[in-house]
Formats: sequence, structure tokens, C-alpha cells
Amino acid sequence: MKTTVRIAAGLVAIPLVVAACGGDDSTAEGSGGQISYWLWDANQLPAYQECAEAFHESGTDVQVTIEQYGWDDYWNQITTGFVGGTAPDVFTNHLARYPQFVAQDQLLALDEYVERDGVDTSIYHEGLTQLWVGQDEQRYGLPKDWDTVAIFYNSEMVDEAGLSPEDMANLEWNPDDGGSYEAAIARLTVDANGVRGDEPGFDSNNVDVYGLGLAGAGEGFGQTEWSMYAFSNGWTHTDENPWGSQFNYDDPAFTEMVDWWRGLIEKGYMPSFAIADAGVSMMESYGAGNYAMVTEGSWNTGAYIELTGVETALAPTPVGPAGERASMFNGLADSIWAGTDNPDGAWEWVRFLASAECQDIVASHAVVFPAIEESTELAEAAFSERGIDVSPFTVHVEEGTTYLAPIADKWAEVTAIMGPTMDSIMSFSADTTALSDANAQVNALFQ
Amino acid sequence: MTVLTGTDRATRANDAEPVTRRQINWGRVAAWTALVVLLIVTIFPFYWMLRTSLSNNRSLAAEAGSFLPADFTLGAFRRVLGLATTQEALAEGGSGASVNFWLYLRNSIIVATVVTVGQVFFCAMAAYSFARLRWPGRDRVFFVFLTALMVPPIFTTLPNFILIRDLGLLNTFAGIVLPTLLMTPFAIFFLRQFFLGLSREIEEAAMIDGAGHVRIFFRLIIPMSSAPITTLAILTYINAWNDYMWPLLVGQDESVRVLTVALGVFRSQTPQGSPDWAGLMAATLIAALPIVVLFAVLGRRVVNSIGFSAGK
Repeated sequence: MKTTVRIAAGLVAIPLVVAACGGDDSTAEGSGGQISYWLWDANQLPAYQECAEAFHESGTDVQVTIEQYGWDDYWNQITTGFVGGTAPDVFTNHLARYPQFVAQDQLLALDEYVERDGVDTSIYHEGLTQLWVGQDEQRYGLPKDWDTVAIFYNSEMVDEAGLSPEDMANLEWNPDDGGSYEAAIARLTVDANGVRGDEPGFDSNNVDVYGLGLAGAGEGFGQTEWSMYAFSNGWTHTDENPWGSQFNYDDPAFTEMVDWWRGLIEKGYMPSFAIADAGVSMMESYGAGNYAMVTEGSWNTGAYIELTGVETALAPTPVGPAGERASMFNGLADSIWAGTDNPDGAWEWVRFLASAECQDIVASHAVVFPAIEESTELAEAAFSERGIDVSPFTVHVEEGTTYLAPIADKWAEVTAIMGPTMDSIMSFSADTTALSDANAQVNALFQ
Repeated sequence: MTVLTGTDRATRANDAEPVTRRQINWGRVAAWTALVVLLIVTIFPFYWMLRTSLSNNRSLAAEAGSFLPADFTLGAFRRVLGLATTQEALAEGGSGASVNFWLYLRNSIIVATVVTVGQVFFCAMAAYSFARLRWPGRDRVFFVFLTALMVPPIFTTLPNFILIRDLGLLNTFAGIVLPTLLMTPFAIFFLRQFFLGLSREIEEAAMIDGAGHVRIFFRLIIPMSSAPITTLAILTYINAWNDYMWPLLVGQDESVRVLTVALGVFRSQTPQGSPDWAGLMAATLIAALPIVVLFAVLGRRVVNSIGFSAGK
């Protein structure tokens, strides 16, 4: 009997002891000048670690701990952190997410701090700072970097197809016959018998190498999937940006573009949606030599260039019917969580992240383009040292052909409607006529 | 286990002799072929994991069809064990995240062990009470338990999360183990069915000797049910070890992060990026090792006791 009681008492004590262990750890973290900083891109981690070291050396008593979570888990972690009170003090924020966070009162407005410390917001690329001002006219982030979209192509395949880098750099596109862009895609497509897409006898059901890769249907955002075609066809997501409330997914300029784009699947020049959605990423298929070219964001440049077995080069997005090229211009920023117990320390770190000192460090790592104009030049130099000509990305900034990423309230709801709609269109289970219905649903959200 | 004696072997050899002289037994050949094919089908994924874990991520896509590791390297295992620097990891196309492997392993062991010990012990007591004690409303309560078995765990996740948060137990071991520490309907049901089959006479004899319920439970029931209890313990341990969703929600903090959650860092890093396949496979192999060892040691016991008989 005594042993029984002892065992029972012991077992009951386990959770208490365990609770005590864990509890100690979590209280230790919030104290002093400690702040936590989260980002999702491992490729950028070394750059920001170097920033943190420079920050610590600058004589501050704020101690920064950097944590990185993959994109898939990142937003889950942040939102559960908001609810559970364990979110990071400072984190890398995305345009598609922040309006919702603002609506939920989870972000700290930075205006007071910006004013107090006289931060000069004119040093950043035009438009980037404005992106982070909410509908309430308050600022919720300081810009850290920007990205545009370009064509990544397998130069060996382009060579074999008899195309030159100049050809690739001067493609033009239209929604009727696809222009020289579609001609190049057809030329780069090769079926199992070695017949090219523009040659007689091409078997579109038995394709070995697709001229153009497909990552997905792009939901309502389409950044790297279709936005460059749509913008160059004179289309924008919303009536005004930021904070538009009328969406244009039923505009003929958009539907004719989608019809042309998915037509590439029927012609056998682009893999089916089922292939794109099967779990093997576009980068892997490209690396395996199944795609001759893809449209991708600048943040993935390094990852593509370093793939072994394929030689990758860049070309700007094609010129559209509007007479110029186009690319979405997206920018990330660092935001402070409203629930931080150390807002001053968090601000000190955000200010440093947005300073030329840190952005120059980031530039030297040649992974992304920093938001500060002068730091961008450093990044270009660092990229060319790695043997990468990034002008296909920067040309949009120079020529003013950038289109700001759409910023709207309720983006999660928009995605919930447009995601399945675009998927069903690209998998041919619906026609582009479905877009008018979806657009009506989206617009109803803002009434 | 019987030991084969010399004569045994001799008789077997004699038996075997005519078989070889006879014509080939096609049925047996077919059976063996089927067995070998099944074996290969079962083992191949594990081989593929091993092959991928020994590959360089950057070369994987280009050498997708090769059965040998693409650009052989131990880098993935170094990443998993936290031996590689971020630069080294990125050079091989891996995740640059720091992995504190031994800490996460310790956390996984703590969580799985505490859950297993707690759950099996408390469920055994509850099952005994449902099977043997008579108290008002017993069957009704048992019915409620059985109903709980029908509720998918995902439904209880949010309420549990809020409760754990309100108790201030986020990012503690207690928060991770509590929902499954005391009981699961399955474990109670599993043991109750077994206890029902135990012979009542033994218990009555013990009562005549003056033993109370507590003594009967510890001195008779538990030793007599060691086989199903072991089975349940192993199943619980594996479940607790593999649990991902709950520890991800409540145990993000480094100090309590378990292996399954930590493996998440090898998933996609950037939008449209691809996972660190080599790292993911290396980590999965290492994380599965304890379970494989557990099965190797206790597997026979699990199989035996699945067809458990009460009177053993």
C-alpha cells in the first residue's frame, strides 16, 4: 500500500516538476534588453546575423536573437504567437499580410519613433515606404528590400534552340498569338521524339522539355505566375493601390491574358496544372531539365544559379501590348509586434535594420536588393561579382515599369475566393467566365 | 525456444533431400518471389531516404533518376546534428537554420516518456474501474468516454490551446504533455476490454485473502496484463514521439521544442522555394531511429499481444 501511494504521488508530481522546468526558461527570455527577430528566408540569415553583430558592436545594450522558420510555418507561428503572447518582438512582414495584422491591432505604429529620431524615409526606393502606411495613415514598417520578376532560362537549351541571349532579352508578348515570346517558348519545347514545339509533327501529349515552367495558378496575387503579363496588358488588380476596394478580375484585359496563358498548356508548351501541383517544385523540375525557362522572383536568383547540372541566365519579362515590360514591385519591411515588452529596444533594432549600415551588409551578401537606393547599387555589384547580371530585375526600376503589389484589406478572404477559382481555371475544370462570378464575390467583401 | 539437437538436424536434412531431387515447386517459387517483391517495395522508400540524405541538394534535381546519392556528401547529417555552419549549409542548398539536435532529442524523449508513463498508468486504473468496480452511473460514464473516441482531435485543438494559454503553460513541457497525460479514450477502451476477460475467480480468491482493490490492481491485474500494457505503452510512445500539430502550437520555444517540430526548418524556406530534401531525409532517418530500435527490441511482443489471450 505504501509503495502504491508513493508511486502515485511520484506520477502526480511529474507534470508539476516539468512545468517548473519549462516555466523558468520562458521567464528568462523576456527580461532585460533582449529582443527576438524572425525571418523566413534561410538564404538571408547570414546577412542579418552579420547585421546583428554590427548592431551589438554599435554600443547598444539591446541583445538580438534571430530565429528563422520556413515560409510554410512562419505565418502559423506568428499568428499563434499573437494569440499566445509569444510572438517575436520584431519580424519580417509581408504586404499581403500586414493589413490584417493592423486590423487585429497586432502591429505597433512607428510614426512617433520615426518623428522622434528624425528618420529620413526619402532614402528608400520610391513607393516602398508608402506601402507600409495603413488606411489609418499610420506607418507599420520600415522597408528592408524589394523584388521584381524576370525570366530564368537554361542557356544551353536556348543555345540548342538557335536563340541568342539578345533574342531572349527582347521578347514581346500579346494575348492573341503570344508574339515572339510564345514563339520562343514553342521553340524551346521538345517532345519525346525530339520534335520542337514549332515544328510539324510535334506531339503535345508526349512532351519531354516544356518551354515554360508552371509553379501554380497564382491565386489572386499572381506575382511570379501571371502578373507581368496582366500588367503589360494594361491591367491592375484594383481600382487604386494601395487600399483599393474594387477588384478587376472580370476585366477583359485579365481574362484574355488568362485564356492565352492556360492555352500554353493545351498546346503542350507548359506543364499541366496537375504536374505543377503534384508536389515537385518548379525549381526542381527546372533543375532536372524538364523546363527550359521559368518566370521567377529575384529572391530565388541565387538558388537557381547554384543548381548544378544546368546553366542559368536571366532575361527581363516580355514587352506587352501596352508597349512596355512590367513587373510586380514587392517590398518587405520589418514590423514591431504590438505586444512586445520592449518597444524601445525593438525600435532600436528596426531603425538599424532600415539603416544604410545594415542594408549595405545585406547588399554585400548578394541575395536580395536592399530598399535603400544606394545599397541597391552595392547589391548589383555583389551579384555581378558572383557572375550574375541582375539588370533584368533592375531594368523595371530604371524604366519605371514596376507595379506595386496590391495592398488591400481582407486579403485572406480574397485569396480564399481567388485561389480555388484560378486553380479550377488552370486545370480546365472551369472557364475564364468563372472570373466574373469570383470578382463579384470579392467586391462584395468590400461593401 | 527449443535447441536443435544433432538428430533434429539430421532428420531435417533427410527430409530436405528428396525435395531437391523432386521437380521445382512452382508454388513455393511464386511465394518467395512475391515475398521478395513485397520486401523490396517496403524497403525501397527507406533506401531512397538514405540515398537522398547522402546527396547534395543542389545536384538532386539534375540526378533525379540515379540510384546512387547525387554528389555524395555527409553535409545533410552535419546540418541535422548542428555541426555545419550556415554558410556550409547554404552552399549545399540546405536550410541555413541552426538545429540544436541533442536538445530537441532530449525534449522528444522527455515528452514521449512522460506521456507514455502517465497515460498508460492512469488509463489502466480507469480501465480497471470501468471493468471491475461497481459504482453508480459507471456505464453511462463509459459511454461518454466512448463518444469522446469519436471526436477528431483537431476539434479539441483550439479549446485546448486557449486553456493551456490561460493556465500560463505555453512553451512548457506541462503544456505539451497535459492534454494526453491523463487519459485517451482509446487507451481506456483497449485495456478495459482486456480486463473484462480476466478471470474473476483469481480476484475473488485475493479478496478472501484480504486484499483491497488497490492491492489487487497492483499485485494481480498489472502483472497479468503485462502484454497488453506493453503494447499500449509502445503505441503511445510512438504516437507521442510522432505528434506534430500540438507541440508546434504550444511548444515553439527552443527549450521545449521537440524533434518533429524542429524538423519543420527543413521545409520550404521561401515562397516557391524547394525544401532541403537531403536535410529533411537525414533528419527523418535520425528521428525515426529510436522508434526503429524500439520495434526491433519489442516488435515480437507487439505482434504477439495484438492477438492477446486473457488466460496467458
